[in-house]
Amino acid sequence: MEEKMNFILLVPILFPVIAGVFLLWKREFQKRRSLLIFVGAVLLLTGAFAAVGILGGERRFTAFYLTEELPVFFKLDELGRLFASLVTVVWILAGFFSFAYMKKEKREKRYFGFYLITFGVLLGLDFAGNLITMYLFYEFMTLASLPLVLHSQTGEARMAGLKYLFYSFCGAYLALFGVYFLVRMGNTIEFTPGGVFESSFLLEHQTLFLVITMLLVLGFGVKAGMFPLHAWLTAAHPVAPGPASGVLSGIIVKGGVLALIRVLYYLIGPDFLIGTKVQKAWIVLTLITIFMGSMLAFREPVLKKRLAYSTVSQVSYILFGLAVCERTAFEGALLHVIAHAFIKVCLFLCAGAMIYQTGCKRVEELRGIGKRMPVTLWCYTIASLGLIGIPPTSGFVSKWYLGTGALDGKMPVFSWLGPLVLIVSALLTAGYLLPVTMRGFFPGEGFACRREKEARLMTAPLIIFAALTLFIGIFPETALTVIRAISGVCI
Amino acid sequence: MNAVYLLLVVLIPPLAGAVVAFAPWRRRAHWMCFLELAVILNSVLVWLLLFNRPADTLTLIHFTGELSIAFRLDGLGTVFAGLVSFLWPFATLYAFEYMTKEKHERVFFFFYTLTYGVTLAIALSDNILTMYCFYEMLTLATVPLVMHTLSREAILASRKYLYYSIGGAAFAFIGMIFVITYGDTTEFLLGGVLNMSKVGENRDILQFIYFLTFLGFGVKAAVCPFNSWLPKAGVAPTPVTALLHAVAVVKSGAFAILRVTYYSFGTDFLRGSFAQNAVMAIVMFTIVYGCSMAVKETHLKRRLAYSTISNLSYILFGAALMTPFGLVGALSHMVFHALMKITSFFCAGAIIHQTERIYVHQLDGLAKKMPKIFGIFTVSALALMGVPGLCGFISKFYLASAAIESGNVLSYFGIGCLLISALLTAIYMLSIVVRAYFPTGEFREETLEGISDPNWMMLLPLIVFVIFIVGFGLFCAPLISFFGDIAGV
Repeated sequence: MEEKMNFILLVPILFPVIAGVFLLWKREFQKRRSLLIFVGAVLLLTGAFAAVGILGGERRFTAFYLTEELPVFFKLDELGRLFASLVTVVWILAGFFSFAYMKKEKREKRYFGFYLITFGVLLGLDFAGNLITMYLFYEFMTLASLPLVLHSQTGEARMAGLKYLFYSFCGAYLALFGVYFLVRMGNTIEFTPGGVFESSFLLEHQTLFLVITMLLVLGFGVKAGMFPLHAWLTAAHPVAPGPASGVLSGIIVKGGVLALIRVLYYLIGPDFLIGTKVQKAWIVLTLITIFMGSMLAFREPVLKKRLAYSTVSQVSYILFGLAVCERTAFEGALLHVIAHAFIKVCLFLCAGAMIYQTGCKRVEELRGIGKRMPVTLWCYTIASLGLIGIPPTSGFVSKWYLGTGALDGKMPVFSWLGPLVLIVSALLTAGYLLPVTMRGFFPGEGFACRREKEARLMTAPLIIFAALTLFIGIFPETALTVIRAISGVCI
Repeated sequence: MNAVYLLLVVLIPPLAGAVVAFAPWRRRAHWMCFLELAVILNSVLVWLLLFNRPADTLTLIHFTGELSIAFRLDGLGTVFAGLVSFLWPFATLYAFEYMTKEKHERVFFFFYTLTYGVTLAIALSDNILTMYCFYEMLTLATVPLVMHTLSREAILASRKYLYYSIGGAAFAFIGMIFVITYGDTTEFLLGGVLNMSKVGENRDILQFIYFLTFLGFGVKAAVCPFNSWLPKAGVAPTPVTALLHAVAVVKSGAFAILRVTYYSFGTDFLRGSFAQNAVMAIVMFTIVYGCSMAVKETHLKRRLAYSTISNLSYILFGAALMTPFGLVGALSHMVFHALMKITSFFCAGAIIHQTERIYVHQLDGLAKKMPKIFGIFTVSALALMGVPGLCGFISKFYLASAAIESGNVLSYFGIGCLLISALLTAIYMLSIVVRAYFPTGEFREETLEGISDPNWMMLLPLIVFVIFIVGFGLFCAPLISFFGDIAGV
């Protein structure tokens, strides 16, 4: 019985894609309401299907064969479960937020169509059981999310969209070079915790593998906004509509993280990386990115761009944790994946809500916003504290693990330099996030403004994300049990 | 089946074409139906032959000693003949609709159909002499097609095409003489026919001759620096550009190179030699060069022509690897590129036919008016980039695998070139798609009044091709194993 139900993995992938394509193909709805009901129903149903998959036991399913060597194969392991549940929660909540937000935008049907397609593609990425399947969904992720960036169809949006596209494909093809070698040289391309290569085989071809590891890191790192190929992120994320920038920054960048975990911890094996030049180079790149992202965010006046720079910096926290190749740091990285997803989506949705309500995009225009939209700003503040890493929020726990993990690592310089950079960056994070709160709640003398009505569809997701940030901060064990199960088999 | 049929399939197209050109027809629809039926009949015959391959050789003329004009159907020929005969009926259908706006239709269709027969003859050639003869004939049959509009530009282009092709054939002729002199036989045999005892001391010379032959046939396959005729020849009507300059003519060049590499000189003789390295370097350069020029080009058809230059060199890269896996990669890209490129060219042709817009920057917002054409164009663009799930990914995967398998370090750089080219492909194809679907603020929709998708004669071929692009992309295990059998993997 259990065997036969495995095709259920395909349902949450295909259902939203088909629904999205249907939406694009269909004529305009007569009423806005029916469009929203349709999209809402699809989101919830997909969530239910995904939950059935995620909560069930171990599932494996080979859909079909591209060629004899390349099966499209799905497998649900702990890591996939973690990412898939993250995607599902965020996607549904941000989707409901969009219902309110998109009221003021044109071409809603197209937006929601691609929003649904991207949902399915992301679940496919999380459920992918081998390298080729993952690569397939990885490229589709770029393509499906592109229309979200292009949505406003201004000249700026088109430039940003093309930049997004070309950087992403540049990364994908850098990685593809490595993918070709991994497929050809390995006995299997199925993801296996700890790697599929014999250590003697790796040593024999050490130079080659170092080169392809570096290319994989750089290539998949593009999606994760890692220096030197990060410039697309700060162009593309802010031009999208509010909720779309939220999910781009919170979830889609994590696609790069997932891909890196998959190839390094599930194919090549982390042991190979320890002590090599590639590891050092990677750590240097992540530390540069962390510091640079925070610095640039600090001097950026437009709120959404500031948040995008913050994403550049924060995702490299995760990459730093992966690069250290040490268990605690790895756990910290995964925890930061969760923490950052909720926090960053929350922050972008707050920014979106503020733009929707007031039309203000620049930080200095947001004086007194706390008086006008208290709920939104409270959620913003909680999320900000999380991103800085102040207890009792999720960011504190994840950064704690990252820091102690780095200290435990056996690298000569980085074991202290890494945590130092993390702390400096946290300081900068406080510097670029908190002024909004301070100016918002304390606008100063002679500033009069009334409380405005905040749409409930907007505030509810914000409150949930803020609550999740606090919940994980106070009860980290809930997330850590899952994460330990992953790190236990990987390292 | 009897080997005589091999001659029949070569002869039917020119005869049918002659009937169309010279018989007194009352109405356009009549000769259209006649020609379409003849072409379909011929293609059906070819496919019957492919499935019941005649074992023996059909010798037409026996000159002297080893030299003869003869036909035989072997594995490599099967692939090329199958490809050409699959595409031709669809392309003819498309051409009927496209040519309504042009003059001298019947002469055009005579040469168009004549080319079908000649291309099949190249595919079915039993020996190098036969292939050479028909290769020259192909040039002559296609020059009038390029010249068709008789504008000054077209005449210059066809002259250039003629000079380049004849010049290339001269180099190939040298190679042919050497193969005849140093080979056991002139027939094509997998693994090569050179007699090592005759070659003896002259290895280096023969390898150099191979290099010349490669360049000679490479002219038709648009190897850099002999590629400039191809974008110029884009002045021809689109069915010509699409079928001939993306499939039949240029693939004949690639096919001839595969023949001389794997079936005449032999890969064992060439592998590891300076000739291999030189050839591979040229091919790698062409791959990147073609794509870069395509990015620079703003004329839609010329952009696609540059893309063809680059993609043809993918096939030649497979040839230059000189391993059985390389041949598999080359064959799969030969088939898949034909599908993808004819699709994108036909879309470009449909756009020209419906809107008379020829530059990329004129395409803003067109997708809304021509949703089917642009949907299909998008699929072909993604396939050309090598997005998994579409056929371009499969052939690139096999080319890259073959490169890794060969263990040749130069070929690792070749994979790099493939990927650079893939990125550039993304740039030059998707910028068109983004433009068409997401016009910016200044765009006025009223300027597109009255534009719509073309009729079924243009759409049907495109829909069929797209089905195959997706179908092969998702499921092509049988095809790849068939190529494996041919290459002797």
